[in-house]
Amino acid sequence: MNIDCSNLDDLLFDASPLAMRTAEAHAAECPACAAKLEEWNDISNTAQSLHTTWQSDLLWPRIERALREEKRRSPMRGFSRIAAAALLTVGLGGTVWFAVREQVHDANFDKKIITMSALDEVEKAEKVHVDAIAKLEKLADAKLEDSETPLMVSYKEKLMLLDDAIADCQANIDRNRQNAHLREQLQAMYSEKQQTLRDVLREDTNVSNQ
Amino acid sequence: MLQAAISTGTIPMTGPVTSTEDRRLAAACAAGDTKIFEELYRRFGDRMKSIAWNHLGNAADAEDAVQETFLKIHRAASTYSGEASFSTWAYRILVNTCYDVLRKRRRRIDEAPLEDEEGIVVERSAPNVDDTKRMTLRKLLDELPEQRRTVFSLFEIEGLSHAEIGEILGISEGNSKWILFSTKKELQEKWNRTRS
Repeated sequence: MNIDCSNLDDLLFDASPLAMRTAEAHAAECPACAAKLEEWNDISNTAQSLHTTWQSDLLWPRIERALREEKRRSPMRGFSRIAAAALLTVGLGGTVWFAVREQVHDANFDKKIITMSALDEVEKAEKVHVDAIAKLEKLADAKLEDSETPLMVSYKEKLMLLDDAIADCQANIDRNRQNAHLREQLQAMYSEKQQTLRDVLREDTNVSNQ
Repeated sequence: MLQAAISTGTIPMTGPVTSTEDRRLAAACAAGDTKIFEELYRRFGDRMKSIAWNHLGNAADAEDAVQETFLKIHRAASTYSGEASFSTWAYRILVNTCYDVLRKRRRRIDEAPLEDEEGIVVERSAPNVDDTKRMTLRKLLDELPEQRRTVFSLFEIEGLSHAEIGEILGISEGNSKWILFSTKKELQEKWNRTRS
């Protein structure tokens, strides 16, 4: 094969046994390429001398220990991962449950506050009503005590029945303050008592006018 | 059977082997079979130490890298796909471990000759090469970028093929060949200047 100096790099790149033999053949006749080839081979020979190893009696036992430790830890690592996942699930679930519960609790609390507020309003109104009835009752009491007319006795009995009914209803309401039906009954009883007291007072006025 | 194949040397140190054998080897490693690891160490340990030493520059770091590589093999063996031979796959892990060490410490290879390391007696494949040349080449290699140094080391120092180097570094065989050629040209120029 006829080659010139410009082909040397191609041969070195190829680096096959045939290419290297061809390069050597050319170098035998070309001092410049011979020097280049010598350096090239010198680098390769020096590189081979850098393959370095040493006796290390402790390295394998060290690796073996590390592997055993790794193997021992692996199931633990797996368990830890499962435990961590479970913990995370429980944690997240707990957080969500707590958040929902809080929301429900907050909603109930708000509802309760609103109910309580409304109830307070009702009870305030009832108290005003009761106070007003109590004033009427004081006015009517004297008349009822002094008069023994059948009508007055009838009013007296009616008021006593109403008071008993009011006391029962109030006792039930104390056990269940939010029972609207009981409150309506109570309100009706008070209204009836108020009307009865007015009737007593009116009757007394009518009697006086007669 | 696998152990017998290894101990009788039917599993080669380098080059492609049947992927079935490699997968069985990987499965044994994944299971943490220390006898298989010991056999791997006996077969590949010297070359692994040399590769690590030529990247890291001292025996202590090289041994640490080899140990770390075995642990990584144990952890990752179950993911071994069989695309490369098991030995090539192990060398890839080793080279990447060395890169990690180098990146962490960000320092150059120790220029002190290995003989100076306490308690270490080195064995060289070409003892007739003088220390001056060896030191010069080590210094020049130290100045090379990682990939060029690795291609040169694996081919010229460890005797791996371009196909294996391509698999280790994730480059084509032709690219490995080109990188080696251009690296040697670069080294030749510097070698010439240094020697003169």
